[in-house]
Amino acid sequence: MGAGMKSRSGVDRSLDRVWRTGLLTAALLLPGIASATLGQPEASVRTDATQLKGSVQASYQANYRVHEIQLPSGMALREFVSLDGNVFAIAWSGRSMPNLRQTLGQFFDQYVAAMQVRRGDHRHVQLELDNLVVQATGHMRGTYSGRAYLPAAVPAGVSLGDVN
Amino acid sequence: MRALSKILRIAGLTSIAALTACGGGGGGSASAPSSGGGSTTPPPPPTAANVLAVQVSPGPDSSTQGADINTLFTSVTVCVPGSTTQCQTIDNIQVDTGSYGLRLIASAVTLTLPVETIGAGDTLVECTEFADGYSWGSVVKADLQIAGETASSVPIQLIGSSGIPSAPNTCSGTGTAENTVAQFGANGLLGVGIFAQDCGPSCQTAGSASDAYSSYYACTASSCQPTGTGTLTAQVTNPVTLFATDNNGVIITLASVPTNGAASLTGTMTFGVDTQTNNKSGSQSIVALDPDDGEFSTAFNGQSLPDSVFDTGSNGYYFADSSITQCSGDYAGFYCPSSVLSLSAMVQGENETGAVVGTAYLVPFSVANAESLNTSEPSYIAFSNLAGVLPTTGNAALTGSFDWGLPFYYGRTVYTVFEGSTSSVGSGPYVAF
Repeated sequence: MGAGMKSRSGVDRSLDRVWRTGLLTAALLLPGIASATLGQPEASVRTDATQLKGSVQASYQANYRVHEIQLPSGMALREFVSLDGNVFAIAWSGRSMPNLRQTLGQFFDQYVAAMQVRRGDHRHVQLELDNLVVQATGHMRGTYSGRAYLPAAVPAGVSLGDVN
Repeated sequence: MRALSKILRIAGLTSIAALTACGGGGGGSASAPSSGGGSTTPPPPPTAANVLAVQVSPGPDSSTQGADINTLFTSVTVCVPGSTTQCQTIDNIQVDTGSYGLRLIASAVTLTLPVETIGAGDTLVECTEFADGYSWGSVVKADLQIAGETASSVPIQLIGSSGIPSAPNTCSGTGTAENTVAQFGANGLLGVGIFAQDCGPSCQTAGSASDAYSSYYACTASSCQPTGTGTLTAQVTNPVTLFATDNNGVIITLASVPTNGAASLTGTMTFGVDTQTNNKSGSQSIVALDPDDGEFSTAFNGQSLPDSVFDTGSNGYYFADSSITQCSGDYAGFYCPSSVLSLSAMVQGENETGAVVGTAYLVPFSVANAESLNTSEPSYIAFSNLAGVLPTTGNAALTGSFDWGLPFYYGRTVYTVFEGSTSSVGSGPYVAF
């Protein structure tokens, strides 16, 4: 309950920020779930939306869009899309890890290879490669959260502080 | 585990290699440093049945992998259920207040332990998700002896066990496999946090039928499907909760660590709180933990961080502070201030709604330069002032968390009282120090 509320409030905070900007112009519900795939076109959100029940909300900022996907597992996935239509960052929070193979897409194998030789404790990931940054934390029965982004693809004027 | 781990492991090995290349280290460790590190004052050795010796040591494969940093280990004796002869004592098991239940790497276990089944005789298998990877293996049962305490037919996870399908995408897709001693950084993990089960009620009915998350799978010889466990008792269980006595909590007492670190460190984990003459509550700072998620609140630098944890399984203090210089290269992810920083934060309990409760306590801590700590004394593995980075997002931490890792436990006696349990001073779940 507590964590659920906090988790929701985390989402709410994120959306609140969007709402506060006054730039939120659309919200839509999709019947299927979507998946955000790093480095892929925005359309991947919809083409992947066939397997699980989930809801997607889209919000529009000045120089990027955010799709927030609520999964049945309680996971909130957010994908950040540049104005040219590519996913440049993903962020998540929930009670477990997201499927990074799906969300990191073509970068997953690189992530796994890097983690095999370079590792912190089991609770924290701070991986900074030239083309990929992954930051994660998580505790059993507690909160798992993190983000991954492509440094070279982050649009000009977007603060990484907004990727959460 | 790899605490700073592999990062420092690599650094440590590099340093050793450099010394070798230069023709030797110039005298080694014949004399102890005159000040600032190397020696600690150990607490009295364990003498009672409810006291387990624990130590910060380099870990199981330090000769090839480099040393684990700020990682607490112990030994556990495992027996085939019902047997007093088919037993094995396994060392280099990490002590973890941030998880629940015993997990052993299969390659470290010589016994044949009975597998738990579910449904129509399927094997119950778990995918344990860590932030940095996953561990896949069968749930088996074992009798455990930990110090002088015993528990029978305890569900434990046998990580990397044979005879089951490989991890399905829903598990392996979460990250890097940690199914061997080398990958995991320990022979096992002894989760003694506040919960009895490692997933709890949400994994009883979860699984493929409900779309809800479950860490458990039902496996045939050829395939695995997410499943609920049906009962809580089928789940991997914190063995302390199954002791006949001294089962309401644990008390971890560790020596203090000098500013420059220490080459080793010893301590104790005492079972039970206010159940014996040697585990009495004292005058303490009590932090109630949210019974839903084990978290509490930290106030730091203007941030209110409701997802905070006390966690021996974290190798440092982890928090967001964009004003502190971060390390780079092999040490990325840690803080590297030019001089040791003296900081503090307020910790306060949380109730089941996530609202703060009880007294807020000031906790001072120090942050040293992680790279300097490691390079100045490559053989040191215990650091009281190692701190890692949680990403800063705007004015708040990405995670809403302040992670009080193993350094918090150095030089302290820390009481962890389990969910649904009580001591003479309060009802669990709480942490007191």
